Amino acid sequence: MKTPVIVSDFRAGLAGGDLLIQNCHDCGKPNMWPRYACPHCQSDNLGWVKSSGKAVLHSFCVLRQGAPEGFEGDLPYAIGVVKLPEGVQLLVRLEATGENDWSAYGCDDEVEFVAVDPGEIERRPCATFRRVG
Amino acid sequence: MTENWQLHVDAGQENDPVFVGVGEIPTGKFPDRSFIEGLTSVAVMALRDAGMVPRDIDTILLIPCLHSGADQADLVFSRMAEELGIHGSCKSSFMVHSGGSTSDNAVRAAHGLIATGHAKNVLVLQCERWGSADLNEMITMLSKNGIPGEWELPTGIQFNAIGAMIMRRYMHASGSTAEELASVCVTLRKWANLNENAMFYTKPLTVEQILASRMVADPLHSFECPPMADGACAFVMTSAGVAKKRGISSGVRVAGSGGCVSHYCLSQESDQAVLGWPLAAERAWNQSGWGPKDADIGEIYDSYAAVTAIALEGIGVAEKGEGARWFAAGHGDPGGKLPMNTNGGLLSAGHTGVGGGTALLVEGIRQLLHRAPAKRQVEGCERAIIGGTGGSYMDAQILLLERTKLGA
Repeated sequence: MKTPVIVSDFRAGLAGGDLLIQNCHDCGKPNMWPRYACPHCQSDNLGWVKSSGKAVLHSFCVLRQGAPEGFEGDLPYAIGVVKLPEGVQLLVRLEATGENDWSAYGCDDEVEFVAVDPGEIERRPCATFRRVG
Repeated sequence: MTENWQLHVDAGQENDPVFVGVGEIPTGKFPDRSFIEGLTSVAVMALRDAGMVPRDIDTILLIPCLHSGADQADLVFSRMAEELGIHGSCKSSFMVHSGGSTSDNAVRAAHGLIATGHAKNVLVLQCERWGSADLNEMITMLSKNGIPGEWELPTGIQFNAIGAMIMRRYMHASGSTAEELASVCVTLRKWANLNENAMFYTKPLTVEQILASRMVADPLHSFECPPMADGACAFVMTSAGVAKKRGISSGVRVAGSGGCVSHYCLSQESDQAVLGWPLAAERAWNQSGWGPKDADIGEIYDSYAAVTAIALEGIGVAEKGEGARWFAAGHGDPGGKLPMNTNGGLLSAGHTGVGGGTALLVEGIRQLLHRAPAKRQVEGCERAIIGGTGGSYMDAQILLLERTKLGA
């Protein structure tokens, strides 16, 4: 199956260094994850806005074992849920602050979007955030 | 917001659906026990417990298994009607599925079928072989199910990561310590030590052992992860009228239920330390007319300690932020003020996939029928809170069950 446009557009944004949020051209509301019809007004007149890149970390964990198939080489890695001021939230990878060290992170910390190498986005098409300060 | 959303059947009505029998075989690792053998065993046990034979059953509801697509297809395509010899007379056989909350929804389905007359006697069957399945295969399966592949799979999320994120948010919101979270597992183990069918029947567990176990997904330790197990259980529901005619003097009825589907993937949950429990509880209490203080036991989904602590708060058994400390104080222990997960729960009886919630439900029915072994039977058990949740804790489902007298 061809990758759906909402998916390829979102990933192209990441590869270009942008975190895109789906935006409804009719009601103006943001949607995340991107949807095929606006959950607020059911319009399919949907586009994108660039996120400010700012967020608050709702929660996270550091996975040390039991990686899914294909992720064994990534261990350990941290994933978390971030809430954006635009009113949407998403699951992201968190950048270590030292070698395999995420001990500085805490719930409700300010975090920011980090652009990563397009090759890495090709391999792992997901957003990465890091701690501010 | 209080909704006027009532059940249309009351205690004393002929069509009031009641639970009249349960069956269960030991949970753990049983590689030589076949899937169909497990299903057949619990079917026969539940029917005998209900004073019935297979011919009495007109409707079979199947709880799904996760270990094998082919075995799940056997459930879907009515194999159990044939195995029990009721093909030809059986009216309907189908699967209900909402992951870990399936048992709650299966009860709603059976309840509606019986109350409206679509079914007379319903047999609900569950069997899982997670303990004998390939562990890596199951981890990978669980990293794909309940997770949006196009959006979240690339992060490397898997099931313990979901449990760990909820745990961390809960610890942050409540100020609970690692010791207090570990005490939830210890309470469950005390109950498992009273349940010969539990995977960890003979193994005690301490907070110290848990905190010394390896870190799997900070802040989650390996001894706080649910052990994948093989297991099977079953129950029988009928109407009060039919039960009376069969000479059954007491059963268990549904006083009310409530639910809330709060998200599909955990990233879209607005507060991981709350989940859907408050709305589910409001709906359930409103339907039942009783409250958390009226319950004699709780059987609430416990694939991770924080999940149960959060549920207890939403349901109103514990004060906001006090769920884990409620366990640490021993309130859910044998002899505690509200015995909780009296079979040992998923964490200590064993996680049988979709069946974990079914086993808790079956234990609740068993306690209310006063048929639990003496060492763990809760005296004067009249009312139970059953709680379930599926997927990435996508929903909160509550069944409020009560013992009921049938006939003279």
